[in-house]
Formats: sequence, structure tokens, C-alpha cells
Amino acid sequence: MVFALGVALTIFAQLSPRGDTVALSTRNAAPDGARAVAEILGNQGVEVRQTDNFAATMSALDSTSEHSAFGDTSEDSGDSSGTTLLLYDRNGYLDREQLQDLQQATDRLVVVTPRLNALSALGGDIRPAGVVPAGVATLDPGCGTDDPATAGAVTAESAYLYQADRPCYEPSEGLGGLYATSDDGRLVVLGSTQIISNGRLDEQGNAALVLRTLGGSDHLVWYLPGIADVTTADAPKTLDELAPPWVAFLGPWLALVAVLAMVWRGRRLGPLVFEPLPVVVKAVETAEGRARLYHDSHAVDRAADNLRAGTLVRLARVLRLGPDAESTAIVDAAARHLGRPAEQTARVLEARPRTESELVRWAQQLDTLEKEVTAR
Amino acid sequence: MAISGRFVLLALAGLVPVMLFPGWGTVLLVCLALCALLLLDLSIAASLRKVTLDRTLPGNVTLSASTESVLTIGNTGNRTLRALVRDAWQPSAGAQNPRQRVDVPAGERRRMTVTLRPARRGDLKAPHVTLRAFGPLRLAARQRTLPCPGAIRVLPPFHSRRHLPSKLRKLRELDGRAAVQIRGAGTEFDSLRDYVRGDDVRSIDWRATARRSAVVVRTWRPERDRRVVIMLDTSRTAAARIDDEPRLDTGIEAALLLAVLAERGGDRVDFFAFDRRTRGRAGSASKGNLLGQLVQAMAPLEPELIELDWSQVPGQIRQISAHRSLVVLLTPLDGGAPEEGLLPMAAQLAQQHVVVVASVRDPMLGTMQKERGTATQVFRAAAAERALLEREAVAIQLRQMGVEVVDAEPHQLPPALADAYIRLKAAGRL
Repeated sequence: MVFALGVALTIFAQLSPRGDTVALSTRNAAPDGARAVAEILGNQGVEVRQTDNFAATMSALDSTSEHSAFGDTSEDSGDSSGTTLLLYDRNGYLDREQLQDLQQATDRLVVVTPRLNALSALGGDIRPAGVVPAGVATLDPGCGTDDPATAGAVTAESAYLYQADRPCYEPSEGLGGLYATSDDGRLVVLGSTQIISNGRLDEQGNAALVLRTLGGSDHLVWYLPGIADVTTADAPKTLDELAPPWVAFLGPWLALVAVLAMVWRGRRLGPLVFEPLPVVVKAVETAEGRARLYHDSHAVDRAADNLRAGTLVRLARVLRLGPDAESTAIVDAAARHLGRPAEQTARVLEARPRTESELVRWAQQLDTLEKEVTAR
Repeated sequence: MAISGRFVLLALAGLVPVMLFPGWGTVLLVCLALCALLLLDLSIAASLRKVTLDRTLPGNVTLSASTESVLTIGNTGNRTLRALVRDAWQPSAGAQNPRQRVDVPAGERRRMTVTLRPARRGDLKAPHVTLRAFGPLRLAARQRTLPCPGAIRVLPPFHSRRHLPSKLRKLRELDGRAAVQIRGAGTEFDSLRDYVRGDDVRSIDWRATARRSAVVVRTWRPERDRRVVIMLDTSRTAAARIDDEPRLDTGIEAALLLAVLAERGGDRVDFFAFDRRTRGRAGSASKGNLLGQLVQAMAPLEPELIELDWSQVPGQIRQISAHRSLVVLLTPLDGGAPEEGLLPMAAQLAQQHVVVVASVRDPMLGTMQKERGTATQVFRAAAAERALLEREAVAIQLRQMGVEVVDAEPHQLPPALADAYIRLKAAGRL
């Protein structure tokens, strides 16, 4: 029962839709994810779409811009229309042209912790300016831009600073700030991933700043570039492209020749001729089989009896006692023949070995005795 | 149908146009050209339905000698036959060149000679001949297998022939014909002759001496025209291999030596191989050379995996000889079987005939019985001892019935059996 329940739970867990573990993903409910922001924005009527490659992002931007254009004509809601694109290119997959395309396709571009080459591609005069000094836990806006001023202080741990005309959240004068906007306000640079993440969203004014920055328009495209964005335009030519055209036919033709060669060698010149082999068995097999039976069943007594009988028969023949001689008579005759006391010969001939080692020793004694009698 | 190596090479050469003008069109073109050549060559090849085969065989050959099988191939068609011919002999026939290329012009015949070196005694067969007729380009061939049965009989080698001279000399000594200082041994009166110094005084015939002025002695010679019946056991026990030779082959060697010796000794020899029915029979009574008949009868013998039917043996012997004969049974003495069949039957036969049981002893048993180093070896020694004791017991019982027992190792059996025969002859017991 418990086992069945466990299996059912496991299957349910496996089948249920699953989030991912990408940092700042809207499907990631872990502390470093950004599901909280996406949920809140969704509840507030902002349509959030997450993409992970350039083509999908461009098509998402195209469709939302058409949609917003349609919305524009119907509602003329001004400020809240348009598309915002959040770009968090952690590994720097996008090149200059792609960044510029993205910038042109969107109304507002929010870039999270960009690098110098990304910033220079996007134009404007925002430049990276290092990190927030250690020990600074929160930063105050200290500028006149709407969103930061309304949001108030934000957490500043492991955040980057950016130099701009009007930087906000400056640790001190002239260092550059955590939040920077271009002159026309279409480009926003956020220097911290922490303030967007599920873990820190509820601290200080993080939520206010993030939601105000991202929730400014009806459509939000959440773009986290992945490995699919690595451009391969300048990859070296493959072997196929370098090879001359006839190479493509070489393999199949050689395969055809190989098949023909198989047909040539494989065709037999007539059926095989049957060879009636006679049955031949090793004659000593029966004795060997019996030996293995003795050994497997530890038939020490029986083996000893056989060896004794064989020795007695041969001794009787050597001592010319005839085939019907009694064993005591053979023992006596052998003792007389050797000039030894009868007890000694009898001890060898009438011993009853109990174990295999005794049997081996006794068999050798028997052999020695037989040789002595034969030799004299 | 078959293709040749030449066609494979041609296909490989087809790679050149394919590489020079790469494209599926070229590939298709070259393939079509190859197919066209193949079909053309195949259609010009000679028809194999108009081929006649004729086989000429030597008939008999002794083992370890080589012989030739001649196959005559006739072409009754109107195109030249360019053929690869395989004369399909079974492997032990040792065909040295079974595949040969033979060209037979239309309406002619050609001979193909295959050398055979047989590796086994018996009837070796060639059931069919396979022909492969190539076209003039030798790219493709028609193939057909035609039944053309042939067989050669490989006779037993008779290695024990080398013992024959010495045994014959012994026989002549018995006869008194050899230049020896003893008188001819035997029991049959031969003739009277004058006494010479050195003759045994006991052989003086006083009655004849009284009629003449000189002393006359009787001479004796061994009995002649006695019957010798040899039975070879071809039952399951004959399949046992002892010293790289099946019991059956050792029995054949022993039987051959004894038969030749007995024939020279003036006796009538009959041989039969038996398990549940007669597998072969030969004898002096029929026409022709005894040895030739014997080897012919012995050549196809194989051990049959059935038990010997001892109850039929006296009947078989009675059929061959109604009179007192020397009956030689070539059969094993090993434990188990003899108690039920051999012993009672030997007792029955011994009442009417002189019976000799000749059996092969396995030298391995003696070796096993002497090795006593480890527990395994001691158990083997015990088992070997048991087997030897059982043999010994059977041999003793047979001797008590008045049966002669010849128990020897494989190479010793033929001379030992010959000696037993000479001994019995000398003793006048035949």
C-alpha cells in the first residue's frame, strides 16, 4: 500500500510540470529564480513571456509590438503601452548586431548586469564602474529619476556599479550607481540580480524598484540567452564542404564492390558432401568415470578394498599360490618371502584407511610392498 | 548463377568514371553497363543441360596409398564449355585437386583426373559433380550440380603383415619342413623314412623296420584341413578407442593375420562380423584369394551402437561349420557385458569347439593403476584396479571352461593371437 502510494507520488512528481533551475528564470521558484516577480506582474495584467533564444525573442517582440500597436490605436493609453525587454545575458552569448537588433525591436530595454562590450554595443554612455564596496548593505536612491526615488532604498550586496549621466544608488559621489538610465529612458541598466530574485524581492524597496521598472508596459519579454544563441557563422568549414564532389560517391561505390566481392566469394561451388564419421569413444573413460564417482562420494573404503584385492591377486601370482589362496596365506607367504615378521606385512595389507590422506599414504605403502616382493 | 573475381575487379574499375564525372547519372550509367556485360556474358555461356558426365574409378585402394578418379566431361551443345568443375568427394577421401578448370569444345569430351589420398577405411563416396560454365569474358557463370555417384572402397591397411614371416617360419617348423634339428611336431601321421642319426628313437616304427633291413622312423605333421571360424564383434564395445585405434581396427588386424596364417597352415578359414546381424562374411570355401575377400568384407565395417546378440552366435557358427572347429571370438572382456553374454555362450561353444577369446587390453589402465601420488590418482588407481580385477575374473572363468584367452595390448594382439593358434596347432587340439 505504502509502496504503491510512493510509486504513485513519484509518478505524479515526474509527470507534473516542472520549473527549471536557471538563475532569474520566471519558472524558477528557488531563491535565485525570478518566479515571484513574474507572478506579481502577471497578476497586475502584464503579459510576461520568457524566451531563451534570439529568434524566439525577436518573434515575441514582433508579435507584442503589433499587438501594442493595435492597442495603441484602440485605447491610446500612452505610457503603459509598448513592450519591455528584460535581458540577462550572464555568459555574454549575444554579439553586437543581435544586441542592436533587440534594442531596435523593443520600446524599453532593461539590461541586468551587462558587461562593457554589451553596453558599448547598445550605445549610450553607460559604462561599468566596478562593484559596490564591501560592507555596504543598502543604498539610497539619491537621484531624481522617478522609479528609484519612489522605491526608496534597495539591498546592495554583490551588486555592480555603472557610470552614467544620472546614476542612482551611488555608494558615494562619483563612484557610479546600481541603477542607470540612458537620456531617453529607453535603456535601463540594473546592477544587481539579487533585487529581482525570489530570495530578496521582499527586502527594502527591491520589489518596488523592480516592479516599477519592469511593469511600465503591457508586455514584458523575459530573455535569458542560452547556448542556442552562440553564433556559428564563423565556424571552420566541415570536411564534407572541403572534400571534392566525387568523394561522396567513393564510399557507396566501394560498398557496392564489397557486396559484389561477397557474392563472388560467398557462392558455393555445389552443396557440401556429408561425411559419416564413425563413433569412437576413449576406452578408459569408464574407469575414469568410476574414479570420479569414488572421489566425489569419498568412497575411501571401496577404493582401499579394490587396491588391496588387486595387490593380493598379484602377490598370489608372484608367490605362486594359485588363484584360490586365502589372504592370510598370502600375507604369511609374503612375510616369509621378505624375511620379515608376519605382523608387519599384515599391518600393511590389512590396514583400513579412514581419510583420503591416509588412503594415499597407505596406497603408496602397498605399492612399495608389492615392488619389494616382486624384486626379490 | 555466379559472378567471377574478374567482374568484381571490373566493378572496381567502374570507380574511375564515377570519380571523373561525379553524379548520380554516371553511377546509373556505369551500373547499367556492368549489368549489360554480365547478362551478355551469361547468355553466351555454354548450356549445362547439354553436358554428359562419366566417372571411372579404380574400385579398391589401400589406406595410405593414393589413387586417381577420372571424370569424363562431354559437351553435346554447340558452344564451347569453359567450366570450373568440382568433383565433390567426401572430405576423408582426401581429394587433392577436386576443383579444376576444364575447357570442352562443342561436341567433344575432356578428361579430368582427381588424385585421392584416402584418410579413412571404408566406402568413400562422391555423390555429385558441380559445374560452373563461364562466358567468353569470364565475368559470370551458370552453375549446376549434376548427380554422378561414385565410390571407392578403402581397404584396411593390414599393418600386422610384418609379423607374418616370423609366424610362417614357426608354422613351417611345426610342419617339419624347415631345416631344424627337431622332428616335425604334430599328431597326424605323415610318412615313413629312413632313420638318420639325431632322430628321436621314440619315433622308430618297429613294424616297418622289421620288414626292411634299415631302421625306419615315422614322421608326423600337424593336422590339416581343420576349420577356423573368426568372429569379429562390431557392437558398441568395438567403438572404444585404445591407444589411438578403435577396438574394431585392432580386431581387423588380428583377424587378418590369423586368417592368412591359418590358410598357409592348410586350414579352412571363415570370417564373419556380427552384432545383431551379420555385417560381413568371407571364407576359403568361396572362389578367389582369401585375403582379398577378407579385406573386401572388412573395409565397410563400422562399430554399431547396439549390444551384441550372443544368443545368435552359436547358430551363426553352426551355419558356417557343422564340425569341430577353432572358434576365435574377437570381443572385449571388460566388466559388465561378458557375464551375461560371453560366458554362457563360450561355455556352450566350448563343448563342441575349441574356443579362443581374443581381447584388447588398455595399457592406460596399467598406467593409472601405478600412479599413486595424490588422492585423485589413488582413486583412479582404485578404479583401474577394479576394471583389471573384473577382466581377470572373466578371464579366469573362461579358462576354467577350457577357453583360451588372449589378452594383449593393441599392437601385441595380432601376434599374440597368431601364437595362440600355432600353440593349439602344435598341441593337436584343433
